[in-house]
Amino acid sequence: MWWGGRGQSFNVTPQKEEPEMGLSGPKSVQGSGMPEPRSHQLGSCLASGCLPGEQILAWAPGVRKGLEPELPGTLICSNLRVTFQPCGWQRSEETPLSSEYDFSLANIGRLEAVNGLSRVQLLRPGSLLKFIPEEILIHGQDFRLLRVGFEAGGLEPQAFQSETKDGMSFLLQVTMAIVQARAQNSQAQQYAGITLSKAGQSSGSRKPPIPLLETSEDWEIERKKQGARGWRVSTVNERFDVATSLPRYFWVPNRTLDSEVRRAFGHFHQSRGPRLSWHHPGGSDLLRCGGFYTASDPNKDDIRVVESMFQAGHSDIVLVDTMDELPSLADVQLAHLRLRALCLPDSSVAEDKWLSALDGTRWLDYVRSCLRKASDISVLVTSRVRSVVLQERGDRDFNGLLSSLVQLLSAPEARTLLGFQSLVQREWVAAGHPFLTRLGGTGASEEAPVFLLFLDCVWQLLQQSPAEFEFSEFFLLALHDSVRVPDTLTFLRDTPWERGKQSGQFNTYTQVYTAGYSQPPAGNSVNPQLSVWDWDLRYSKEQILQFHNLGYDPEHCPDSWLPRQQPSFMVPGPPSSVWLFSRGALTPLNQLCPWRDSPSLLAVSSRWLPRPAISSESLADQEWGLPSHWGACPLPPGLLLPGYLGPQIRLWRRCYLRGRPEVQMGLSAPTISGLQAELAHLQELLRKWTPRISPEDHSKKRNPNTIMSQSR
Amino acid sequence: MGGAPAASAGGRCERPPLIPRVAASQGGGMLGKGVVGGGGGTKAPKPSFVSYVRPEEIHTNEKEVTEKEVTLHLLPGEQLLCEASTVLKCVQEDSCQRGIYGRLVCTDFKIAFLGDDESALDNDETQFKNKVIGENDITLHCVDQIYGVFDEKKKTLFGQLKKYPEKLIIHCKDLRVFHFCLRYTKEEEVKRIVSGIIHHTQAPKLLKRLFLFSYATAAQNHTATDPKNHAVMFDTLQDWCWELERTKGNMKYKAVSVNEGYKVCERLPAYFVVPTPLPEEDVPRFHGHGIPIWCWSCHSGCALLKMSALPKEQDDGVLQIQKNFLDGIYKTIHRPPYEIVKTEDLSSNFLSLQEIQTAYSKFKQLFLIDNSTEFWDTDIKWFSLLESSSWLDIIRRCLKKAIEVIECLEAQNMNVLLLEENASDLCCLVSSLVQVMMDPHCRTRFGFQSLVQKEWIVGGHCFLDRCNHLRQSDKEEVPVFLLFLDCVWQLVHQHPPAFEFTETYLTVLSDSLYIPIFSTFFFNSPHQKDANMPRWKRRDLCLFWQGREGQGAQSKPLNLLTVWDWSVQFEPKAQTLLKNPLYVEKPKLDKGQRKGTHFKHQRQLSLPLTQSKSSPKRGFFREETDHLIKNLLGKRISKLINSSEELQDNFREFYDSWRSKPPNYHGLLLPHIEGPEIKVWAQRYLRWIPEAQILGGGRVATLSKLLETMEEVQRLQEKIEERHHSQEALQAEAASLLRTSARLSSLFPFALLQRHSSKPVLPTSGWKALGDEEDLAKREDEFVDLGDV
Repeated sequence: MWWGGRGQSFNVTPQKEEPEMGLSGPKSVQGSGMPEPRSHQLGSCLASGCLPGEQILAWAPGVRKGLEPELPGTLICSNLRVTFQPCGWQRSEETPLSSEYDFSLANIGRLEAVNGLSRVQLLRPGSLLKFIPEEILIHGQDFRLLRVGFEAGGLEPQAFQSETKDGMSFLLQVTMAIVQARAQNSQAQQYAGITLSKAGQSSGSRKPPIPLLETSEDWEIERKKQGARGWRVSTVNERFDVATSLPRYFWVPNRTLDSEVRRAFGHFHQSRGPRLSWHHPGGSDLLRCGGFYTASDPNKDDIRVVESMFQAGHSDIVLVDTMDELPSLADVQLAHLRLRALCLPDSSVAEDKWLSALDGTRWLDYVRSCLRKASDISVLVTSRVRSVVLQERGDRDFNGLLSSLVQLLSAPEARTLLGFQSLVQREWVAAGHPFLTRLGGTGASEEAPVFLLFLDCVWQLLQQSPAEFEFSEFFLLALHDSVRVPDTLTFLRDTPWERGKQSGQFNTYTQVYTAGYSQPPAGNSVNPQLSVWDWDLRYSKEQILQFHNLGYDPEHCPDSWLPRQQPSFMVPGPPSSVWLFSRGALTPLNQLCPWRDSPSLLAVSSRWLPRPAISSESLADQEWGLPSHWGACPLPPGLLLPGYLGPQIRLWRRCYLRGRPEVQMGLSAPTISGLQAELAHLQELLRKWTPRISPEDHSKKRNPNTIMSQSR
Repeated sequence: MGGAPAASAGGRCERPPLIPRVAASQGGGMLGKGVVGGGGGTKAPKPSFVSYVRPEEIHTNEKEVTEKEVTLHLLPGEQLLCEASTVLKCVQEDSCQRGIYGRLVCTDFKIAFLGDDESALDNDETQFKNKVIGENDITLHCVDQIYGVFDEKKKTLFGQLKKYPEKLIIHCKDLRVFHFCLRYTKEEEVKRIVSGIIHHTQAPKLLKRLFLFSYATAAQNHTATDPKNHAVMFDTLQDWCWELERTKGNMKYKAVSVNEGYKVCERLPAYFVVPTPLPEEDVPRFHGHGIPIWCWSCHSGCALLKMSALPKEQDDGVLQIQKNFLDGIYKTIHRPPYEIVKTEDLSSNFLSLQEIQTAYSKFKQLFLIDNSTEFWDTDIKWFSLLESSSWLDIIRRCLKKAIEVIECLEAQNMNVLLLEENASDLCCLVSSLVQVMMDPHCRTRFGFQSLVQKEWIVGGHCFLDRCNHLRQSDKEEVPVFLLFLDCVWQLVHQHPPAFEFTETYLTVLSDSLYIPIFSTFFFNSPHQKDANMPRWKRRDLCLFWQGREGQGAQSKPLNLLTVWDWSVQFEPKAQTLLKNPLYVEKPKLDKGQRKGTHFKHQRQLSLPLTQSKSSPKRGFFREETDHLIKNLLGKRISKLINSSEELQDNFREFYDSWRSKPPNYHGLLLPHIEGPEIKVWAQRYLRWIPEAQILGGGRVATLSKLLETMEEVQRLQEKIEERHHSQEALQAEAASLLRTSARLSSLFPFALLQRHSSKPVLPTSGWKALGDEEDLAKREDEFVDLGDV
């Protein structure tokens, strides 16, 4: 039995035995108190939405509250998720998951049961529930809130009977089932069956909506797209023997041999040596690498290789200390926790103290510092042709954040829907951001939602320059929520290696790693191609349409990008200057590598005077000279510089305050979508009536399907 | 372009925020030379903080200036008082200081700087240009504080000076900050201009010396448009009758002319409205104190009243008389047909004027910054600083008070009587807020202007004292009207489609407080205005009043401009920015139908409480009985029991239930008052701070896109109309609709967005599919935006 005892007190004890897993569809578990006759009809109805391998553990009729109108429906707890299924709502086969009604177990941050004035927080080991709840509140870690009320009147007499008989009601069951399931769930667990059902739909090889960068061709295509001529795709890590956290392929300078790459990478922390992140159309290169592995003792040749990789053919190198002036991982985690506490609907912060409490979370301050740093780096990259190297010890967190932000700021391409998704795939997923650890999936202490911090930064950019982005706030929101939905492996693994192994990508290797809980049955290898970018898993077509920012000005589309003609600096020679960018200023470096007695090949010219260590001059000023110059010549085309002053950084209310429906209601949304629909309709009418239509009437109509998923 | 001022202001600083520069640093620009392609070839070493411009630059500047002498533009009646040449206006451009050489003049209207400022020629600038006040003009009334810099130390300047500063810093009430460097100016000129400015802006003034009068006398032939086109002025009996008629208050309330010629009381307007059974002879007993004066009636018949408290007396006898008098008054308004009266004493347990004053002076310091470094420094604790000024909290409390009053009027069917010492400060604020929220008419420009006219101007708000226009007492200076505008801004910001005017309108209105060519904000009461008409003796005034009775004004009174004539300040093109293109006009019903159903319709939509509402925390039956008890006893005891807890409950319930429904822009409109929802009126407060602007971003970008789309839609609709004029009946209908609303062309498509209107206005629209409310609500959960799709 799961829980026992007479009386009204139920103690949750961790379940010993694993629930039976099978593909036989749902069945009521252990028959405990689930009255079969009644659930016959309902059961089949519930079952229709089930994923293969999903088992319904408990359910109870209830009413969803908080959001108007109140929806009657059923609260279902399965071994995979908690769902509120409104009456009459059918899951469409196309979208087996619902972004609206589903709560993945990993997402449940807090569970509260309310009866009258008493309020008990569950989900702690050994939580006691001493009453039958009138309402339960499920707080998602993604700031969503599900409030389900159970009205006595809503239960059929039968339910009362069974209650008296078995000493527990549906509600209790469902509540405790949630607690139970949550306790057993691990974030690493994936909805195993989902890929099956999805894979079944499209036979054969399914082309992912965006290149997943798992093949060298993807990398080659991307390299060509960026116009990085001095670079090539290295296959040195094809078997993940250089580093498991690195992608199988990455870009290295043309002239560097793979053997050299392997040697050079050994001198970096976790073997994450310098790789190209992005090639600026103006000629600069943005590189990222881990910290120097100081204990190693490289020989002269190795140092030469490392230096030439840093130099990447440029005469000007700027080394950016990524962690400087940015919060630590622990800071980010603490700020996020505080922010979540503040945004709870019952947060005890008085209204007139709200703003200082918001300041107190420091979250917005961290957003600000990220934007500021990214803005500085994009100035470095844009102002002249050089090689800019982001160096972070681990190279898996803030390097990704900054390099993505820099690309968003400097490349209009990255601001399109596809571009942004590829960007995240490249700089976060493929680059080995430890999603599982950072999102608390492994229980390790290194939990820190760096990726969510990044999304907040992007949202700030979006609200500051709404015309520059092809994606909308809702897209960001969808991405934000997807982080905790275990439907695809994208966010469920720490490294590309684990991800690849799990999806059975390289069967030639012996599978050392076996997931005890969700090992898919033999013969049903998970479709490796499913990723978070398959939005139709969770979002309906209408919702996907909302991913488009209707305020996007097509003038800003990538076509208008005119790369400046730059002389090629691919002639290898000693770099004329090496700088360290730190605390908002450039300081000259005498040698690039920290190792003792390294015979520096870099002749740092001494005519560059050291800059005052702390200069309040903005980097843009330093780089471009006096502002008066800008009057005549505005920013280079395509470059956005974010605002990061106090009043410009806002709270992402649609995301963080979702649990407080009163704040959400009546938010006057821009009415532009309505107008666009009207416009499209009128154009349609005109087209129908007049065979030939003048071209200016033709505004670009986007078909969501072609953009979001090319496969269908 | 709707959000215009941000855009136009943006024109000034073409560049996004940067880290400001404080100290001089030689070689700062070194890196800048070269690769990018000669960025800033004429770059010079950075000037230091003190000497903003090096002598060479002044020389080059001088040459240019002598070529283009800028002439001083004087208004009719304006006189030049003093001037100084070779003054440098220091402009903060992002991170560096730039000097513009020119002439500083002081007239009896303004302080002006005449220089060759190329930024003034900017295109965006000219689009939203004020015709009266130029970019470098400061009206004398707009000056807030004057500082002088002596040896790099900043001191407040006042009175007689012994030593003259090398730099003059002027803080304006519209939050501009000017820096004038006097280092290169001749000494006697410095003396003259500094003492002149200090004298004319800070010395107490006589009302008669206001520029208003000299302007009006000089511009006598200026053809001012009839103020009645812009607002109901409420200076005639008819205006009040019209308002009574409009709000259906004429059953229980009457307009009286007992104060004609201000015989009874100089504080009250000549005409006002009181409950019908109130004997007119009661009015003079306490000089108008203790009389319930009607403000507004809501559709249910409940009214908002205001009363100025009786003077506090020590003498028991007098107290007894007062008590009897009040009892009598209460008796008349407690009897049916009048609803129960709830008294809101605004002077005892609400805000104090003192609080408002301190909060605002703290708040504005956040924006009055001398250089952007200061701004930068405050960033990290920005929200905390904001909170510590408690200005936002005061706004919240005002909005909350208004909601409480509305709850009484709307949900409990009670009359509300606002009580205040003079009924001219917080009374005005609360009663106008209530009307803005409840009466959609007050959300049109005409209605809003009439409202300000009714509650503030005629209602006797002491603008002269509260704005300290005459510099007579700093203590009296309390920005009550500004607080009101800020409260309205919160509403406009939260529900943009509900208002015909934009935030720009509110901003320019707040600026107009300090322009002394409009009479609107320069008197303490209508009486003061009428009494101070130049060349008008008291006798004339009486004649005038008699004249009004008969033929109207035969002898034309002095032509004072009202602020409501926006064409005085703005060109028609700029005026479009005051008008909200997103405003959804109330769907027009057939004329015959309209009169009958208008208010019923409205009531239906705006009544938020439905019986079926059950709160989650209560059982079915308890709630029912609660209601019963409330209904049975409530009426009798509500006046006696003022349990704040119950009040809070009612308030909460009312508020929540209103919010649980999608807002009806033509019904009751309540603001969100939670912590995160009260915001800084960025347009007004941040507009002069270049660092705070985002180029091509913010709401303006969305708005311009929106307008573009709207124009496109309109164009296509016209096209369709053209082509299929005769072919399809369907189209003919739409076309006729278009034509009737041709005046509001840009708004037209928005009539379609009314998902509450029973039938789709334009049959061609695709709205029907989305019209299903339940469907919408379902989707609102995750995608709030869909609600408006």
